[in-house]
Amino acid sequence: MAPKSDLQTLATGSGVSDGSDQSSIDPIFHLLRILPFSFLRPPRLRLRIPSFTLPSPMTVYALILLTYFLVVSGFVYDVIVEPPGIGSTQDPITGTIRPVVFMSGRVNGQYIIEGLSSGFMFVLGGIGIVMLDLALDKNKAKSVKASYAVAGVSSIVIGYVMSMLFIRIKIPGYLH
Amino acid sequence: MGGKSEPAKSESMATTTTSPDLINSSFFSFKSLKLKTKQQELLLRIAILGLVYILAFIARLFSVLRYESMIHEFDPYFNYRTTLFLTEKGFYEFWNWFDSESWYPLGRIIGGTLYPGLMVTAALIYWALRFLRFFVHIREVCVLTAPFFASNTTLVAYFFGKEIWDTGAGLVAAVLIAICPGYISRSVAGSYDNEAVAIFALLLTFYLFVKAVNTGSLAWALGSAFGYFYMVSAWGGYVFIINLVPLYVLVLLITGRYSMRLYIAYNCMYILGMLLAMQIRFVGFQHVQSGEHMGAMGVFLLMQVFYFLDWVKYQLNDTKLFQTFLRITVTSAILVGGIALGVGTASGYISPWTGRFYSLLDPTYAKDHIPIIASVSEHQPTAWSSFMFDYHILLFLFPAGLYFCFKRLSDATIFIVMYGLTSLYFAGVMVRLILVATPAVCLISAIAVSATVKNLTSLLRTKQKVSQTGSTKGAGSSKASSKVTLDQSQPFQKNGAIALLVGVFYLLSRYAIHCTWVTSEAYSSPSIVLAARGAHGNRILFDDYREAYYWLRQNTPTDAKIMSWWDYGYQITAMGNRTVIVDNNTWNNTHIATVGRAMSSNEDEAYEIMRSLDVNYVLVVFGGVTGYSSDDINKFLWMVRIGGGVFPVIKEPDYLVNGEFRVDKGASPKMLNCLMYKLCYYRFGELTTEYGKPPGYDRARGGEIGNKDIKLEHLEEAYTTSNWIVRIYRVKPPTNRL
Repeated sequence: MAPKSDLQTLATGSGVSDGSDQSSIDPIFHLLRILPFSFLRPPRLRLRIPSFTLPSPMTVYALILLTYFLVVSGFVYDVIVEPPGIGSTQDPITGTIRPVVFMSGRVNGQYIIEGLSSGFMFVLGGIGIVMLDLALDKNKAKSVKASYAVAGVSSIVIGYVMSMLFIRIKIPGYLH
Repeated sequence: MGGKSEPAKSESMATTTTSPDLINSSFFSFKSLKLKTKQQELLLRIAILGLVYILAFIARLFSVLRYESMIHEFDPYFNYRTTLFLTEKGFYEFWNWFDSESWYPLGRIIGGTLYPGLMVTAALIYWALRFLRFFVHIREVCVLTAPFFASNTTLVAYFFGKEIWDTGAGLVAAVLIAICPGYISRSVAGSYDNEAVAIFALLLTFYLFVKAVNTGSLAWALGSAFGYFYMVSAWGGYVFIINLVPLYVLVLLITGRYSMRLYIAYNCMYILGMLLAMQIRFVGFQHVQSGEHMGAMGVFLLMQVFYFLDWVKYQLNDTKLFQTFLRITVTSAILVGGIALGVGTASGYISPWTGRFYSLLDPTYAKDHIPIIASVSEHQPTAWSSFMFDYHILLFLFPAGLYFCFKRLSDATIFIVMYGLTSLYFAGVMVRLILVATPAVCLISAIAVSATVKNLTSLLRTKQKVSQTGSTKGAGSSKASSKVTLDQSQPFQKNGAIALLVGVFYLLSRYAIHCTWVTSEAYSSPSIVLAARGAHGNRILFDDYREAYYWLRQNTPTDAKIMSWWDYGYQITAMGNRTVIVDNNTWNNTHIATVGRAMSSNEDEAYEIMRSLDVNYVLVVFGGVTGYSSDDINKFLWMVRIGGGVFPVIKEPDYLVNGEFRVDKGASPKMLNCLMYKLCYYRFGELTTEYGKPPGYDRARGGEIGNKDIKLEHLEEAYTTSNWIVRIYRVKPPTNRL
């Protein structure tokens, strides 16, 4: 606490002696006023200290949704293990290279594109539920509410069905 | 029940006066059971919580019913051994225990290097049961500790949900967390590991802290400090709490939610929690010395600055003067804090972040620098299918729950959002941490479910009120017509709401089916007993591990030293009761590298190393006959990497052919002559493993082995289990000099 009280007495002291144009109690300001700026002339600028306003909750929510999409798609897995974007097998008979979308054989492995598409389905399902809630908001026109409801329900259905399809392809013995 | 029957009797008395006596006297018993709505709701809640409690317990009992009541995996065997020691010798012996049976010849100070919470909890339950004259074996208590604490976690989740949102969300949270596979995976019966108790302690600490912030009461803050102490005693993951809570306080300060309640809650929890945490020897003075705990201290000092500024603002009546004072104080506080941190780090008093936690912030760190951490399969980053497997529907409900939390921001919802986001990020970095994220995901999903169901059911209910007001008001024609159009669309809305509710229940039932299937198929294997499907679909059990450990226990001298890879150390000391060279504690990398070097060298060099370590027996795990893929040959490259990390003599490319790891004829000569190869494939060349394949066909690698005629010079085969999974060799004493 000692340094702060010193600054305060210094500030009040200088404030009393120089009360004409600046009533600032900032000691650094007074120091700078004496040392370089008694012979240097600062230019006239129209600058303001940028004010820091907090973003609205829904902006933060949109950013968080983006991060959620990346994490759930296995982005960290992609960065560290560096799997290919899409896998490939060679047809044993004809010899042509066929692409393989889902890495099979283990639960904790993926290719980049399968991760991103699954993550997208999850986020789509989540947004569907959000749209359902927006559809029940009383302050909107009826047609808007109906379209929100339809969009919400279809998003949830598509997201769920596609996710189930993906997991069935990935894990052959799922639910057996 | 007594309190409930009194108003019921008064109701029934009221009805008997207005209705004929004959009918009501015969229906008296039914009328007396009629409860008021509030009591009905309480009864419903208690019934649901009771059923959820039982459900959480029995969902975890698959392996006990299928196999027997035994401890799973590797780490729980160490915990079991220490709990056994605690119950036999008492607390002082346990606290001062130096174990010379592991890490020969170094030994291990067990009292100072473990988290005692789990063992003390199980011992207390055991002593309580014995006091009530239930003489159970300590193993049964250890096996069932995890499901018991999982049930308790559901209760804490209910109260937490009630604190954040409302009772409906609390009930849904309890149900979701009771069967969530992310939690079941580490708390199944038999999984006697630190996380079984730690998740309960984590959620309890968070609940008590949020309650303290909401009420500003010193008692709740004290409770959260004790909850933190329990967490510190239980698991090394307490670092998450000591970093999340200050981060939360920081976010509240930034969003302008500083209040006296926050000040009381955080100060009490931090100071008391820190003092209590120092009682655990393993943690020691880390709260003031380690870099991972400095965030909490910094926020603590920042809170004091905030309080001081608040007090000065109250004393001063001049806002402009206060603004400048504010700027000076904040700048100088940050400067002083930064200088102190710099001096502490530079002088070495504050130790930097340890590798395990640093690899969470920078996931590429472990892969390049610490192969032991990178080799554990649980530490791999998470793919989308692991998320889906462990969460199912909760992945859809989580973003929706976040939306509802953001719509109704309060101190408590900000906390749960932060907990959910940070834990989900860490779960993305390391598969094992999906467990830590599970309570947050379940709570936020419960908020989504509860809010959606509330919206839909309110849609089902409002139509009656609207039609009533329309008929009673009888206003102008425009109002009447609008009410009429509303009435016409009401049935459609009602049907739509019912359809959506049916959809919600369908999704939740699919979640329950998924969770039960995952628990039964994936997370209930004891991994010490292996199971496979036979030719006719029947289940075959391979109990080779326990067979080998009991052979060791009964057929080797009591001071025999066993060398094996570190995975099996805990099991050998617990079940085989013999001294091991390295075990799962992995605290000494050089010792492990010595064993790795011995396994990867040829027989003569390995014999030198084994003689220097006094090794009597070598144990290897081999899956070539059964097709078991987690055997030592598949782990061999990690032995090479860890050994090569300390002894540059071992080079990984020597064991690979064109970057590929092979064991057949085309394998590198160093591979064909190393000790691990010889011990695994000794006499394997004579065995036919599969119909139609040549003898010596390795079913785990899918190829015929290269070197079938193996001769051992310094070792001799002591025991091979019935399915060739565990093989034990005796180290021969040196030949007499002539």
